[in-house]
Amino acid sequence: MADEPKPRAIAAYRAPESRPENLAEYSYVPEALRGLAVSTGHFLRNLLFSRDPSPDVIHRRGPNQVTTVQYPEEIAPYPPGYRSMHRLVPRPDGKPRCVACYLCATICPAQCIYIEAGEYEGDPIEKYPKRFEIDELRCIVCGFCVEACPKDAIRMDTGTHTKPTYDRPAIIYGIDRLLKGPAVSHQTDVWFKRETSAPPEEAHAHPIPRSPGDEPPG
Amino acid sequence: MPDPSSPKPPEKAPSPAPPALVNLVIDGRPVQAKPGTNLIEAANQVGIDIPFFCYHRRLSIAANCRMCLVEVSNAPKLVPACQTLVSEGLKVTTGSPRVLESHRSVEQMLLYNHPVDCAICDQAGECKLQDYYMEFDHRPYQPAQPRVLRQKRKPIGPFVMLDQERCVLCTRCVRFMREIAQQPQLGVFARGNHEYIDTFPGQPLDSKYAGNTIDLCPVGALLSRDFRFRARAFFLSTTPSICAGCARGCNTFVDHYDGVAYRYRPRENDAVNQAWMCDDGRLTRRRLVEDRLTRPLVGRAGSRVQGRSLAEALSAAAARLKPLSGQAGLAALVSPQLSVEDLLAVCLLAREGLGLSALYEGGLADGDEDALLIRADKNPNRLGLRWVARGFGLALRPFESLLGDVSAGRVTALYAAGVEVPKEPQVVAAALGPIGLLVIQAVRHGPLADAADISLPAAPHSEYDGTFVNFEGRPQRFQRAYPEWDEARPHWRLAEALLRELGFAWRWPSARELFAELSPRVPELASFDWNDLGPGGRREPGVAARPAAADARPPGYRERAVAQPGQGKQAGGSRG
Repeated sequence: MADEPKPRAIAAYRAPESRPENLAEYSYVPEALRGLAVSTGHFLRNLLFSRDPSPDVIHRRGPNQVTTVQYPEEIAPYPPGYRSMHRLVPRPDGKPRCVACYLCATICPAQCIYIEAGEYEGDPIEKYPKRFEIDELRCIVCGFCVEACPKDAIRMDTGTHTKPTYDRPAIIYGIDRLLKGPAVSHQTDVWFKRETSAPPEEAHAHPIPRSPGDEPPG
Repeated sequence: MPDPSSPKPPEKAPSPAPPALVNLVIDGRPVQAKPGTNLIEAANQVGIDIPFFCYHRRLSIAANCRMCLVEVSNAPKLVPACQTLVSEGLKVTTGSPRVLESHRSVEQMLLYNHPVDCAICDQAGECKLQDYYMEFDHRPYQPAQPRVLRQKRKPIGPFVMLDQERCVLCTRCVRFMREIAQQPQLGVFARGNHEYIDTFPGQPLDSKYAGNTIDLCPVGALLSRDFRFRARAFFLSTTPSICAGCARGCNTFVDHYDGVAYRYRPRENDAVNQAWMCDDGRLTRRRLVEDRLTRPLVGRAGSRVQGRSLAEALSAAAARLKPLSGQAGLAALVSPQLSVEDLLAVCLLAREGLGLSALYEGGLADGDEDALLIRADKNPNRLGLRWVARGFGLALRPFESLLGDVSAGRVTALYAAGVEVPKEPQVVAAALGPIGLLVIQAVRHGPLADAADISLPAAPHSEYDGTFVNFEGRPQRFQRAYPEWDEARPHWRLAEALLRELGFAWRWPSARELFAELSPRVPELASFDWNDLGPGGRREPGVAARPAAADARPPGYRERAVAQPGQGKQAGGSRG
């Protein structure tokens, strides 16, 4: 290995060694004019034809080739899986799925979630968030809250980001602004099993499971 | 009664009747234990934790949870470690595959009917079912048949909420009510898979000691209605303290988060409260957080001057007290809710700053009493007040004579440290109306704080270091759990500031220096080592009492850390 010569430093670009063949190439004028023609063509085409306003610039149609998105009139969609602004997921009855377990507030590295728990009277899930506030200015959009949530109660699937504002208190979002979007329920949700905290009537209809032979006669 | 602060005798000291120790081997480690020790305690001596739900050192052995099954050399089957006593030459194995499979099976069986609603359970974070699942089980739920649904929310008493679905039927609560509280108000009903804990029809769980069943419950079946949904257990930090609810002085832990005390739990002290405390004591937590006076009030309710700082209020109070110093009309009212350190400073102020020779003795009125813990005297430090007043040569007059002296015009100005009075505060405030000058130090708002000319905000005992002397004459240290609220300061700090405003040079950096300087005047305190924090009272050296978020360890582990024996002395000198 030690005998091998060190490799020479390789330039990123090597100038061509051939020289211009004639005066036209020496003067650069024809090439410059050709370039101007291309630019003028693009200019006229974009000037004379209207622009497809679709915010999806890759798939714009028509001769106009401008890729500008006129924000905020046109808003480019965020890609799927993008961690956008939070929402509190509603149950089918409109209440938040959240049970104020504080796991999102516990894991939040920016400490931007504030929760106060309350108690439902006639609901099989006894606990709910009286206050659930996210300081969207402090939020770093890491998505840990979504991963920590054991109840699928907070999601980042709104496809929007926090709207800018001149008012700091206005950027602390409460339940009224966070609770939105389609309702979600899962097979394991408690409200499919019972309506209150008391056991359903049928739970004690046969307190001792009977085997088939034990049926009373008649 | 043994003195808890006395050092243990050295190992080789000849004792009159040396107990014959039993030799056994647990997980390959030789253990010497007293005869009659069970295997859980013997294993604990060498730091081996055997899991259990139903065992408790101070209750009878039920051996019904089957979580503590271990392998022993003299039995073919696994035996419950809580019920098996040590015997000579016994070989115990706690971590064999057979034992671990037994733990896992028990855990799996208990989880068949458990609702696994940890998200709304206040016990989450200090729950044995959770801990042992993470330690032994780790299997998904495999239901053999649908879960048995039971009553999930049943307020069975003024203090306790019952969730029968979460119960693992360890019967600790039933045994506690029967054996310790001697009020058998809880029972096990139905049979087999449908068993549940409940009260008897028409008889609520109204014992004064019902709160202990909450501490005993290894899962979230019995929960406090006072603590319900207020905070998550894994946020709380724990500081050793003393209950200020009565003269017993039960050793407690204050569980707090971000400067707010959320609950009291009993701290074990064989000499005082064993491992229990009463519900009234638990509810005195509210005095630490409700209606707090955190800013000084200057001027009476009608003509109050707004926005005065503590320094301005102190100099205003001193300016009005100074011309009255040594005059006949000036008097002082001192509450036995104050700590010994507070009383040392306040008595110094009364004696030297105000030139008094007598104090009026305040304090809450007597209440009910029982044979277990509750004392009639509802003040934590009455004996301390008497000791300190005697040490400073101050006579103590009963509170009733104060009202008479006020109406007779013999008292025209009053300085009150602590406004706990044995009568209705409204009545007292009305009776003190004609007084010319009323300067008080109060922890909470109230009629007296409104009636005073100057109210200085005092801190409750969770916010500073101090000492209470219980009814037996046992001084017990409590520790600062979190910083004072806003401008509230300990009584002794307010008294020190008043002394300085009156022209004295007293200055103490902390309660330790105050105690060292002033306690020699009180002969009863001579034998008390201020740095001795009592059982489980160790504090991490160099760790200040801060908002709890910094201490992320779950409560059970925080407790274990402070319960190291023999470390109380070295921690004492770390902070003041």
